[in-house]
Amino acid sequence: MRTNYRVNSGTRFHVFSKDQLEQLFWDTLHILEYTGLDVHHEEAREILKKAGAWVDGIRVRLPSYMVRKALSMAPRSFTLWARDGDPKKNIHIGPGRAYFGPGPTCPNFIDPYTLERRPYVKGDAELVAKVVDALPNIDFCESLGSISDVHVDLSALYEFAYMFPNTSKPIVAWSFRWDDSEAIHKIAITEAGGQEAFERRPNYVHYCEPVSPLVSTFEALDKLIFAARHRVPLVFTPCPIAGATAPCTLAGLIAQAAAESWMGLTLAQTIAPGLPFFMGGVTSILDMQTMIFSYGAPELALAECGLTELAHYAGIPLWNTGGCTDSKTLDEQAAIEGSFSVMAAALCGGDLTHDVGYTESAMTGSLFQLCMMDEAIGWSRRVTRGIEVNEETLAVEVIKSVGPNGHYLRHPHTRKFFKTEFWYPTLCDRHNYEEWSAAGSLPMRERVIAKVREILETHTPPPIKKETRDVIEKVLADAEARVKSTDTKKK
Amino acid sequence: MSKILEQLATAIIEGDIDNTPKLVQKALDEGLEPLSILNDGMVMGMNEVGRRFKAGEMFVPEVLMSAEAMQAGLKILRPLLVSSGAKLLGKVIMATVQGDLHDIGKNLVGMMCEGAGFEVIDLGFDVPAERIVQAVKEHKPDIVGLSALLTTTMRQMAYTIKALEEAGLRDKVKVMVGGAPVDAEFAKKIGADGYGSNAAAGAELAKKLVGAA
Repeated sequence: MRTNYRVNSGTRFHVFSKDQLEQLFWDTLHILEYTGLDVHHEEAREILKKAGAWVDGIRVRLPSYMVRKALSMAPRSFTLWARDGDPKKNIHIGPGRAYFGPGPTCPNFIDPYTLERRPYVKGDAELVAKVVDALPNIDFCESLGSISDVHVDLSALYEFAYMFPNTSKPIVAWSFRWDDSEAIHKIAITEAGGQEAFERRPNYVHYCEPVSPLVSTFEALDKLIFAARHRVPLVFTPCPIAGATAPCTLAGLIAQAAAESWMGLTLAQTIAPGLPFFMGGVTSILDMQTMIFSYGAPELALAECGLTELAHYAGIPLWNTGGCTDSKTLDEQAAIEGSFSVMAAALCGGDLTHDVGYTESAMTGSLFQLCMMDEAIGWSRRVTRGIEVNEETLAVEVIKSVGPNGHYLRHPHTRKFFKTEFWYPTLCDRHNYEEWSAAGSLPMRERVIAKVREILETHTPPPIKKETRDVIEKVLADAEARVKSTDTKKK
Repeated sequence: MSKILEQLATAIIEGDIDNTPKLVQKALDEGLEPLSILNDGMVMGMNEVGRRFKAGEMFVPEVLMSAEAMQAGLKILRPLLVSSGAKLLGKVIMATVQGDLHDIGKNLVGMMCEGAGFEVIDLGFDVPAERIVQAVKEHKPDIVGLSALLTTTMRQMAYTIKALEEAGLRDKVKVMVGGAPVDAEFAKKIGADGYGSNAAAGAELAKKLVGAA
């Protein structure tokens, strides 16, 4: 009989030791307590002051107990729900789990038919949502672009309105300000069956972005306050640039990103204790030769892993980054950079990993990159699932029964495990040369393009309720009327 | 198609080794012709297995289960078919050539051929040319399948074919070859009748060689 057997079946890796994490944690609190952040939102400053913050003008410093209290209130484990209730599409945030999805707001898009790089337009949000809905390893939806052919104030709302009917996977939504946040929320709660039903089963996450170094902007906090008051799970994610808007050294980059996130966390938990909150950071470097904020650098993947460990040490989930590239096209560079950062994100268990499908350093969204990364995520997930060791998987008796020069192909043990123990690719080709050339000698790139087009032509996402369709029409009409009257006043 | 033949096809597709012989017996009891049971039931099922395998919907262990179910059914049918004088798909002798201990590829081709309806006689591995000649004389197969994994042993395929020629047997059998280092050009060079790039292609080739595909 086995006793005291320690089961350790997952594949894990660590960037930091326990001492390093302790040091990072307390030094982040030190930054918040002694340097503080500029908080450009009067109401936010008042709320924080009432909760114990030291406020001098717009500078807000948080005594460490406040942040630790906020961390203790935020959940480490919760569920983001598929709008149609499909359990396979729910996202269960918690230790040892990693989920993936695209990112928002690229100005350009690779047209899936002409293969041209062009401005992102209305219909693209539908295409992206559809492909997200169909790909098995893409778990949540963002748009991969910012709609250029609507009123500039309405692109976030149109984006959500076009994505929501085309995927039932949870959406991470951004907005400009309170009123489009409100319109987006109306759509989501209508489908959920009202505000209370939504609070129990939230079907979208609200995304806001403070500015580095150490600035909480009015817009970011206003949207945060909206989300907190309506109990919408929050992503609060700075984008510190190592060497430019953050220290050049990765430890400092991570600490600053955490400090910027935890200001938002403290405000959100003060308003809405227990609100699901993802701390963030797209933590990468300024390339000192090209002045590009790199989406393909190893430092991005490494710093994200470090930040993930700090987040988990502090007891909250992380908004991670991966599957993205600096390459301008679907090529070997895109595959290398995207796959390595996906693998790193999967290994560290960064909870929601976004920007899958970004190319050209976040300037251009690509369904092809997204689709190729779906395969890389599947590959990585097989690795992180690890090797299960028990009597059945060790198969000593099976080895004995097959014996020297026998074979396992017909053994019941093979039949039992070959589907779950092996991962089966859908894009990587394993046919022999004859079969591959008979099928047209297609390189990866061609196979990816064909798969994206097939999804676009054949996939039907689960429908939304009729009342939600009506609400979408209404909020869009109201929003158009609103911007029209503001524009007239401006004149 | 009658209901029992449909059930039989399904049993083959599902690799139901226990139920297939029972269904064959039931079909015989209902008075169906053995050849119809084979062609309109079991082979229909096996054709579907082939289609699904090619389309990536079925996997090797599943195909082998179907092949096993096929064999279990044929065990009952074969004597009846032989005595009725019906033309069977044929007999295949499989061997990994002398000097080569690699068995798995040859086994896979053999199992796929069985699944396609051939009778397969497996001579094992490290088989000298003389033993293959002997087996051809004894079993009178339609096809000899030769396998080699090593570049050092693939020459032995040529020697084996030569031995068949010298024994005056070469025009009595078709020879198919396969294995990692082998390709169509090599097959042609040594005077084989065909080359299969994998196990499924090997079974297809065998069918072609006997004029059944």
